[in-house]
Amino acid sequence: MGNCFKAMSGDSLSLLREQRDSVGSPGDILGPPPPYQLTHQEAVHMPQFLTTTASSNTSAVVGTPSMAGTPRSTQEVEEEIKHAQRQGFIRHLPKGPFDGKGGKECPICMGELNVGDLVRFLPCLHCYHVECIDDWLQRSLTCPSCLEPVDAALLSSYQAP
Amino acid sequence: MDTSRSALLLRKQLNELKKNPVEGFSAGLIDDNDIYKWEVLIIGPPDTPYEGGFFKAHLFFPGEYPIRPPKMKFITEIWHPNIDKNGDVCISILHEPGDDKYGYEKASERWLPVHTVETILISVISMLADPNDESPANVDAAKDWRENYGLFKRKVARCVRKSQEES
Repeated sequence: MGNCFKAMSGDSLSLLREQRDSVGSPGDILGPPPPYQLTHQEAVHMPQFLTTTASSNTSAVVGTPSMAGTPRSTQEVEEEIKHAQRQGFIRHLPKGPFDGKGGKECPICMGELNVGDLVRFLPCLHCYHVECIDDWLQRSLTCPSCLEPVDAALLSSYQAP
Repeated sequence: MDTSRSALLLRKQLNELKKNPVEGFSAGLIDDNDIYKWEVLIIGPPDTPYEGGFFKAHLFFPGEYPIRPPKMKFITEIWHPNIDKNGDVCISILHEPGDDKYGYEKASERWLPVHTVETILISVISMLADPNDESPANVDAAKDWRENYGLFKRKVARCVRKSQEES
């Protein structure tokens, strides 16, 4: 998996784009946000689709000059970007029906892993119910069982300036 | 994770602890109708100043458990560097992964969704035996523990006696 990190990061970005399209973000209609929402630096470094995604929840701001004084904080925008990146990343971890190998119960919900249950495999080969592990990965990119980082190389490629 | 699944997981742990009790503590619910609120009785670990004490504590689980950690609060008065004066336990394994703003806690020391009532209590019991004075919740207790261990032991002994009278 290590030798395809570069390619994957490109894929993830396209996935994010697809995701935005599929939810029909109002950002599509409204176009890019007015410059006051972002510092100059962010505007330079942030890919266009991310800035539009970030503004999708603030459509009220657009065309409402009275609200210009309360733009979304950099922190909120960063959170949203991080969330979107994580979702894109998590989608790339292999998932599939449980084949009876690699454990009897899901270490998170302690429920039985039945053959055919939808499970996700982490790079360390630990597997969990998809709905159990995806909630966790959104908070921390470590395997709950062995603490192996799930992200390392890939995440650093996201964060590179 | 929806709430019914967290309830199921907690119920499973409760039944397991009833069937196979773990040395050092006993656990049950505060109210039999609320699986999210637990009452535990911790036996003061041997060879520590807490030996002989019976410390009651409550655990409050969120609906998102085990993705998010419970909060733990001692009801019995206890003097310890990592338990604040209201009884709230400040231990890194009960801190959510996103909480560590200063970055001094390793991922392995923070909350993981594989933690159970049993593993939490084992950590708390080990914390009683071995306080972490780097980030004290009770600064005065940490100061006593570091600088005047005799005084620290006397204060703990008072809590131990009180806990025996209460139980």
